[in-house]
Amino acid sequence: MGLDIRIPLGLIFLIIGGIMSIYGIVTRNAADIYQKSMGINLNLTWGLLMFIFGLIMYLIGKRQKWQDDPVNPRPWEKGDRPRH
Amino acid sequence: MNLSIIDWLIMLVYFVFVLGIGFALKRYMRTSNDFFLAGRSIPAWVCGLAFISANLGAQEVIGMGASGAKYGIITSQFYWIGAIPAMVFVGIFMMPFYYGSKARSVPEFLRLRFDEKTRAVNAFSFAIMTVLSSGISMYAMALLIQTLGLFHGLMPESWIFHVSIILSALIVLGYIFLGGLTSAIYNEVLQFFLIVAGFAPLVWIGLRNVGGWQGIKQTLPSTMTHSWRGMAHASTNTLGVEWVGLAMGLGFVLSFGYWCTDFLVIQRAMAADSEISARRVPLIAAIPKMFFPFLVILPGLIAVSVTSHMMPKTPAVTLTAAQYAALPLSEQHPHGIIPLKTDPLNGQPVLDGKGNPVYNYDLAIPVMLLHFFPTGILGLGLTALLASFMSGMAGNVTAFNTVWTYDIYQSYINKRGTDEHYLWMGRMATIGGILLSVGAAYAVTNFNNIMDALQLVFSIVNAPLFATFLLGMFWKRTTGHGAFTGLISGTLAALAHHGLTIPGDAAAGIHGGWITIVHHYPSDMAQNFWTAIFAFSTNLVVTIIISLVTTPRPESELVGLVYSLTPKPVEHHLSWYQKPVTLALAVLAMLIALNLVFA
Repeated sequence: MGLDIRIPLGLIFLIIGGIMSIYGIVTRNAADIYQKSMGINLNLTWGLLMFIFGLIMYLIGKRQKWQDDPVNPRPWEKGDRPRH
Repeated sequence: MNLSIIDWLIMLVYFVFVLGIGFALKRYMRTSNDFFLAGRSIPAWVCGLAFISANLGAQEVIGMGASGAKYGIITSQFYWIGAIPAMVFVGIFMMPFYYGSKARSVPEFLRLRFDEKTRAVNAFSFAIMTVLSSGISMYAMALLIQTLGLFHGLMPESWIFHVSIILSALIVLGYIFLGGLTSAIYNEVLQFFLIVAGFAPLVWIGLRNVGGWQGIKQTLPSTMTHSWRGMAHASTNTLGVEWVGLAMGLGFVLSFGYWCTDFLVIQRAMAADSEISARRVPLIAAIPKMFFPFLVILPGLIAVSVTSHMMPKTPAVTLTAAQYAALPLSEQHPHGIIPLKTDPLNGQPVLDGKGNPVYNYDLAIPVMLLHFFPTGILGLGLTALLASFMSGMAGNVTAFNTVWTYDIYQSYINKRGTDEHYLWMGRMATIGGILLSVGAAYAVTNFNNIMDALQLVFSIVNAPLFATFLLGMFWKRTTGHGAFTGLISGTLAALAHHGLTIPGDAAAGIHGGWITIVHHYPSDMAQNFWTAIFAFSTNLVVTIIISLVTTPRPESELVGLVYSLTPKPVEHHLSWYQKPVTLALAVLAMLIALNLVFA
């Protein structure tokens, strides 16, 4: 397929991680919110981790050319290939 | 429960992506092959993640969390004895036949190997089963949304259940209708990562709260923190199963029956770009799969370990803090933060036969999310939960539309349609499958634990099936008549066994004993496992006997379908570490280590 899954995967983690990090920065002094998570700012820490993961996935997805061009015949259309 | 705008925003981003992937893939759906088989062009790791994600529906996340809270770490047997060995087996031994035979579905493989009638039995029973599973996922999701009060204040209470069903149906319909199997697989990969991202911090913060694994061990009875202790006898472990029933029923018959023959998962491996990739798919899937108990079972254990004196701080889901405080913390059945089960009609707590309150273990994971997650990451946790329901539904719907179109419509209704016509039929089948799921969702209301319901369906439909495949692939003498008769007798044996036995003190009816009661099992789990064992054995014996008295097919027709007549896959060009066998051995080594650590 012409779409590398790592691009949408990277993007969704960039966006969700980004939203969480920003919200985490804004609420870093609001102790009452983080009482539930035992005083740990989960939004900031986990949001940043997700953001970094998304960035890595997105960059790899951009670099790699998807081998299977949708215009060319698919592996199963090429007739009888030697079996693996 | 009041969600903030941030939580809604995160959930919205997810739904935009889900549908966006469908739209992005729409232009690649040119032939029925693209729609049903993803053009056989997906890399192994993508298929591998989809392979476990398709199975990661409601029964997995809600059911496993519930069982973790109810039975303890012993639930991980479903993974460590159940799923993983079967996944290794299907990758190493069975995938060459599925992929190499060029069959487009598992029922079609049965037609190639046996005959038309065997295929028909499998195609129809499978189609019904997928619709049921998808309906259960949908029902569980709507019920959860209603119980959590996710839409509270946005619409009248009585609408919430129906709106949830319609919304989830429309979203799943949208992305499968547009992008077919590829769209389902891509979304399953997305869902896989979101589920990990949503549950990993939950487990981490939960473990910190209860003092780590050591803290759980001190709080809970030892039967709940050891996966093998007390397995010698059914009365000394929480599952109520002795090790023979567990190893044979769950480990061999049910798990192999599911992971090796269920088209829902096999379809993901069939979409791989080569036979070697297809063989790697279940093996790659096995690695994250074996660590999933830490994501889905451990939250259940943490939920019952959190002591109830912490309760006043948390907003209760269905109960007030005062009601919690009134409940004694039982030593034998700790309930932690698990809420009481309430009747959805009148809001009163449900009582069992002896007048004791019943705990709603299905809420173990949702209640953990609400307990530990602040605004923001709560949106992520809920997204993960919704993602798991979506993937459970979508996996069933894609399997249904393929089996319907290729194995029922093309085989019995319209044999000479154009490819475009079958592509159109696939889209229509997607709509039909979703509508049937909605019907099933409304029909499913009678079970306390979703897991038990699915195990029942599996043990009747899936359990006898593995004997057919095992004999078909590894014994060239097996005939079509033998396979067909065996399959029917196996299913009948499962039904008869279920009708003749009953677990514990359950009332005769849906739980068994509807013919007459000849045997009592200690638990419904034990009954399910033994139903599977009886079904499998009956099928095995009947298939062998009938095969021996009927004429086998000539050996030349069975090349590529039977182990002894098929050339072994050529792997000379692969280094030792690239071979599927090496990966399989590594998986098994990790599996043994895990079993030893939590023995």
